[in-house]
Amino acid sequence: MAKVRLENVSKVYGDVVAVRDIDLEIDHNEFVVLVGPSGCGKSTTLRMIAGLEEISGGSIHIGDRVVNDEPPRMRNVAMVFQNYALYPHMSVRENLAFGLTLARVPRREIDLKVAEAADILGLDELLDRQPAQLSGGERQRVAMGRAIVRHPDVFLFDEPLSNLDAQLRTQMRTEIKRLHRKVKTTVVYVTHDQVEAMTLADRVVIMRAGKVEQIGTPDNIFHYPANAFVAKFIGSPPMNMFDAVVAETTDGKVLRVDSDWQLPVPRHLATRVEAGHEVVIGLRADDITPRGHGMPPREGAVFESAVNIVEPLGSETLLFVNFGPSETIAKMVRPRTVQEGETLSFDVNLEELKLFDRSSGQAIERTRA
Amino acid sequence: MSGLSHRRGVSRLLGRLELVVIWVVTAVALAPFLWLMVTAFKHRTDVMSPTPKILFSPTLSNFHEAFVIGPFTTNLINSLVTASASTLLCLVLGLPAAYAFSRFRVYGEKHVFFYVLTTRMAPGIALVLPLYMFFQSIGLLGTLTAVTVAQTTFNLALVVYLMRNFFNDIPRELDEAALTEGAGEWQVFTRIILPLARPGIAVTAMISFLFAWNEFLFAFMLGGTGAQTLPAAFPGLVTPHGTYWGQLAAASVVVSIPVLIMIWFIQRHLTRGLTFGAVK
Repeated sequence: MAKVRLENVSKVYGDVVAVRDIDLEIDHNEFVVLVGPSGCGKSTTLRMIAGLEEISGGSIHIGDRVVNDEPPRMRNVAMVFQNYALYPHMSVRENLAFGLTLARVPRREIDLKVAEAADILGLDELLDRQPAQLSGGERQRVAMGRAIVRHPDVFLFDEPLSNLDAQLRTQMRTEIKRLHRKVKTTVVYVTHDQVEAMTLADRVVIMRAGKVEQIGTPDNIFHYPANAFVAKFIGSPPMNMFDAVVAETTDGKVLRVDSDWQLPVPRHLATRVEAGHEVVIGLRADDITPRGHGMPPREGAVFESAVNIVEPLGSETLLFVNFGPSETIAKMVRPRTVQEGETLSFDVNLEELKLFDRSSGQAIERTRA
Repeated sequence: MSGLSHRRGVSRLLGRLELVVIWVVTAVALAPFLWLMVTAFKHRTDVMSPTPKILFSPTLSNFHEAFVIGPFTTNLINSLVTASASTLLCLVLGLPAAYAFSRFRVYGEKHVFFYVLTTRMAPGIALVLPLYMFFQSIGLLGTLTAVTVAQTTFNLALVVYLMRNFFNDIPRELDEAALTEGAGEWQVFTRIILPLARPGIAVTAMISFLFAWNEFLFAFMLGGTGAQTLPAAFPGLVTPHGTYWGQLAAASVVVSIPVLIMIWFIQRHLTRGLTFGAVK
């Protein structure tokens, strides 16, 4: 249990800046997920917290201590690696006990703690096996067990589920969440999978090219993305994006996608943009729905299009339709069978429409209601 | 159908041919050794017989003359001592060095590693004179220490090179996992890396032992009469009065025994040891 604070932390390899001036404060028992595309610096950040990479600038605090120059063993952190990193020459029991043995914990206490961890993770039956005899999911659990026996201040997870198949990944995701509820420790978790980030995190840190793009609760970053990158990265399917220019008409301001395709500027953004402003429209598939499937929006627009592609997902169906000059994804909840080529009318929920400044990519903030 | 059976016939023929080639190569390779084995058990008269004798009454007299009457038992012990000691020294010095080369990024590390390798590439004959003068000046010439140290300098590079490859194949995450679990660098090395590298260490130790065991030049020049190893004692059997073929053969058989035993042990690991890290 400890706070973790990163102040202006950066990492430079030769000429390459892997992490640039990151500021991050992680609370007691908070579950923070660092997420971003590969090469965004998320793993490097985690490894700097662990002490496996030296920092090039700034400072890292764990609890009340500045740990910049402390070796990993002094930091009281536990790390779970993507490839599990179980010691192949030791049994599961020895793997779990290794850290405690190093700390010269008395034998009896080690046995108790190993038994406790094994119980939490359901490893009792496996204690005398060798790592080579375990399945991927079992290895993952042993790796987590190795972390929890030591009661560390901070848990660090480096893409722990990436080597598992899809079904097991979902299952282990829930287990990790349950484990966090049970053992109550500060967690820093790295993943490139936004679903993992959204489902696990108290707060999500979205990174790109060594910089933090946005920090917020899953809800917050989903509904109020700070910029176009975050908007597109979070959510599945990714947010639909169209270039547009704001124009003044007799009916008020409109977002002109091309000469004969436009949407009204929604009320919550009307005072934020002027005619001539070059913007990017962001609309999630959830906000483009076939008429009659769901409540019509309070503030909406309607368009018609033939359906190009139908992707049924069971509880909902994704429809690829023409939105003016470009293609967009619409979502049909409580779906019926739709033929490709069939023409439907669609409601656009303007209340959820996002605008981004085209040159900076930053979100144009809505007026508070 | 006939095409297929024809092809099968051709491949069977090739298989036979392959077998013939293997037998010929084996015979050529083994012939001198067989001659040696046979000679070791022949009486002096049978050895010197102008027409090679296939049938003869075997005797142990050559072994008796070389090892009981002659000094070869002492030489054998010297060989065992120097080869074991230099192997141990090579491992003690070489394993940490190899680990450091495998794991730590140090400025100029590649140059240092290349320098280590060149110590093995240098011709022994070029090194033996300076070593001779060096050991003479510190009064160690003709001692087991001198031979051991000289063989260590020569085999250390091999140990560092082979073991670095073995260490490179151990995932770095294991080191990192141990580090975050509270281990220091030395504990990582002794408790994770060394146990995992055990097969590699075994192979490397045996190769190092064999090289020291077989080594002639340093042992001959630096060991003098006081620390003569088995190979270094061989020239003593070539005398102005004649060559003691029987005793030479007997000593050769004995000197080959540890080699055969070790080859038998490591044949499964040998190729892996030498190519470790090269393919992966």
